Amino acid sequence: MKKRQSWLFFIIFLIAFSIYLLVNFPFQLGLDLRGGSQLTLELIKEDGNITRDELDSVKAVLDKRVNNLGVSESNLQTLGSNQLILELPGEQDPLAASRVIGKTALLEFRIQSEGSTSQYLNLKFQRDRIISLINEFNDLNKRNFDKNSKNKLEDSLGEIEELLDYKSDESELFLKLNETRKFINSEIANLFVSTNLTGKDLISAGRRQEQTNNNWEVLLSFTSKGGDKFAEITRSIAGSQRLLSIVLDGESISEASVGNQFSKTGITGGAATISGNFNADEARELEVQLRGGALPLPVQIIESNTIGALLGSRNIIKSFYAAILGLIFVGLFMIINYRILGLISVISLLTYGIFNLALYALIPVTITLPGIAGLILSIGMAVDANILIFERVRDELNLGNTLIKSIDDGFRRANSSILDGHLTTLISCLVLFLIGTSFVRGFAATLGLGVLISLFTSLNCSKTFLRFLTSYQFMRKKNFYLKDVNNTSSANLLNKS
Amino acid sequence: MKLISIPLNQIKKKVWSFSIFLITFSFIGIVISSFYSSIGKPINLGMDYVGGNEIRLERICNVDCKTITSDELISKLRIINKENNLINNIRFQIQNNNSLISIRTPFLSIASSEKLINDINKIAGPINFDSKISRSIGPKLGRDLLINGGISLLVSLLAISFYISIRFDKKFSLLALFALFHDLFIVFGIFSWLGIIFSIEVNSLFAVALLTIAGYSVNDTVVIFDRIRENNKSNDNLNFNQIIEISVNESLRRTLFTSLTTIIPLLTLIIYGSYSLHWFSITLVLGILIGSYSSILLAPSLLINEDKSINYEIK
Repeated sequence: MKKRQSWLFFIIFLIAFSIYLLVNFPFQLGLDLRGGSQLTLELIKEDGNITRDELDSVKAVLDKRVNNLGVSESNLQTLGSNQLILELPGEQDPLAASRVIGKTALLEFRIQSEGSTSQYLNLKFQRDRIISLINEFNDLNKRNFDKNSKNKLEDSLGEIEELLDYKSDESELFLKLNETRKFINSEIANLFVSTNLTGKDLISAGRRQEQTNNNWEVLLSFTSKGGDKFAEITRSIAGSQRLLSIVLDGESISEASVGNQFSKTGITGGAATISGNFNADEARELEVQLRGGALPLPVQIIESNTIGALLGSRNIIKSFYAAILGLIFVGLFMIINYRILGLISVISLLTYGIFNLALYALIPVTITLPGIAGLILSIGMAVDANILIFERVRDELNLGNTLIKSIDDGFRRANSSILDGHLTTLISCLVLFLIGTSFVRGFAATLGLGVLISLFTSLNCSKTFLRFLTSYQFMRKKNFYLKDVNNTSSANLLNKS
Repeated sequence: MKLISIPLNQIKKKVWSFSIFLITFSFIGIVISSFYSSIGKPINLGMDYVGGNEIRLERICNVDCKTITSDELISKLRIINKENNLINNIRFQIQNNNSLISIRTPFLSIASSEKLINDINKIAGPINFDSKISRSIGPKLGRDLLINGGISLLVSLLAISFYISIRFDKKFSLLALFALFHDLFIVFGIFSWLGIIFSIEVNSLFAVALLTIAGYSVNDTVVIFDRIRENNKSNDNLNFNQIIEISVNESLRRTLFTSLTTIIPLLTLIIYGSYSLHWFSITLVLGILIGSYSSILLAPSLLINEDKSINYEIK
């Protein structure tokens, strides 16, 4: 008697503790339930051997970039040996994030090679034309595009392409314009030779609006060593025809001459500005990339997933309905078939639900839609254990045993079947969790946890509740527990023969 | 209350022919699907496995949404979007009284997919940006997911086989596994047919569903085999075939009830759940139905010995 009571107290304590957890620890909801975007990034490397260090340093750089972008509550995690998952909750723009992430942001300062002035001037002229075409395109895009002006733009672009002997692969005009601009920029960068000053010598980056027009410029400040290098480089070309170029990922984004007055000391003060026709967004993104530093390896977005916030909350409500309705119907089914035993299984199912949710909050398990499916399926599993037990109890009662003995024997004899069933499901869950994708893991985690808890609640809670009830004499009527007991059944048949 | 009594010894031939029919049916589906021009694979793989982009947009309408057709969308899109490559490979589906537009395209960058959404907003807007879904998966990742799903399935089937072979003797475990593969093969075949007839695609949750079905099917079979083993130990005066039949009938209530209590929540998921779980739940319901059939009727009927005098020894 004492042992039974201590079990009961233990279970009541666990329930109270679970409720405490549920109140104090909020659930972690997956993006499909609260809305937001998820991007899967893959590191690109020729030989494919990506070390842990490389993955970590890419993650560190991206972490900085995403944080500097001002995305709140973003979450970046490594996945496997060469992937990263970036989560952007709520209504945040995955587009800006994808732009900031996609660039290597390798910043270099290059000086012009001798005798390339005429080539440079030619390329610069074409670049100015492209830029004005792009501006024109943007203007036209705001109003309604008529076919005529579009054709005009396409013709001008064709002219430039012919002069450059270059053909863009893109099929859309806007993308074509930008591709061509890129091509020119990298051609310009090729006229310049690298120096020892790179993005690593930066201490910080900022941005401000230019006074003369609406364009933005990006401000760079160097470390003291970087400042010395910068002074040396500017001194070497001061007053000459050679220009200094700022090259980002192989594209020259800005070129400037250094005046004769710097020929003694170079430009000192450890700061420089890049003015390259940036709009506000572009300047901000460049700033973010420079602050984060260059990526040791380029990354590629291989998967993206965006779910509207409204849809997320709708998913929660729908799944909640499905779970509650499922529970109610299963509960009714159990009570109709097993009477008080059914009621007890409902109570232990509820404890099962509370334990499950409490564990989700405690571990914490991120709840996703597949996770909810796992939970709902595991309810079936938990009920199955109860059914196995009650059928055994029934058999024992049919054999003419007393209620108490039938209950004890029923639980004992159902043990091995319950264990088998739970273990086979657990095997599937384990495999899914170990080699599955993040999407699948949510399912495996909740189903697996559910199976483990179900072992405890069905074997322990149901039994404890039943023993508590049957400790009262007036609760020991057989027909409270099962209907139609003692009818001819296969169990009797077996006994007689 | 006794549900029904199954005369397993008498109907075993019918059970076998039914299973042979199901397996042939599935096999034909898989073969047709493999040679069907628009699929070309044993099953219609969805974008999770081949890569691509899926967008679902809800239109905001006062009362009823203005009728719009897929052709209309495509021709209007051609005017404002010059990416011919994209537009030639785009597929629209208009659902829910014109209020829901689902779009399928090959894999797109985020920039192109956002642009596409904005274009659709111009053509068929206003759309509700709060309830949009946009999912894209690169082709390489898709292939990885497919391989990953295959490996998960293989590994866990091996693990389950191993567990069963420890718990039961050779004949029992072979039959339990046969029943398991029977179930999985038929579910697979049914989805091959669904792919051919209704262009239903399977995504990564399908592999998960197959794995879950595997767990359930084995569980059901094991419970009945457990019963047979137990009854065989305690009864010397019945022959083995009678014991099988009695054990099946004793476990009948449990197996049916369990299937029912599992199917009930799945039905609520099918009716109320989100669309991404819809086909997952349907797959599970199918699998559980077939699993119950194979564990109640097929697996035990294969145990029945033609020579009635032999009393089978079970460890």
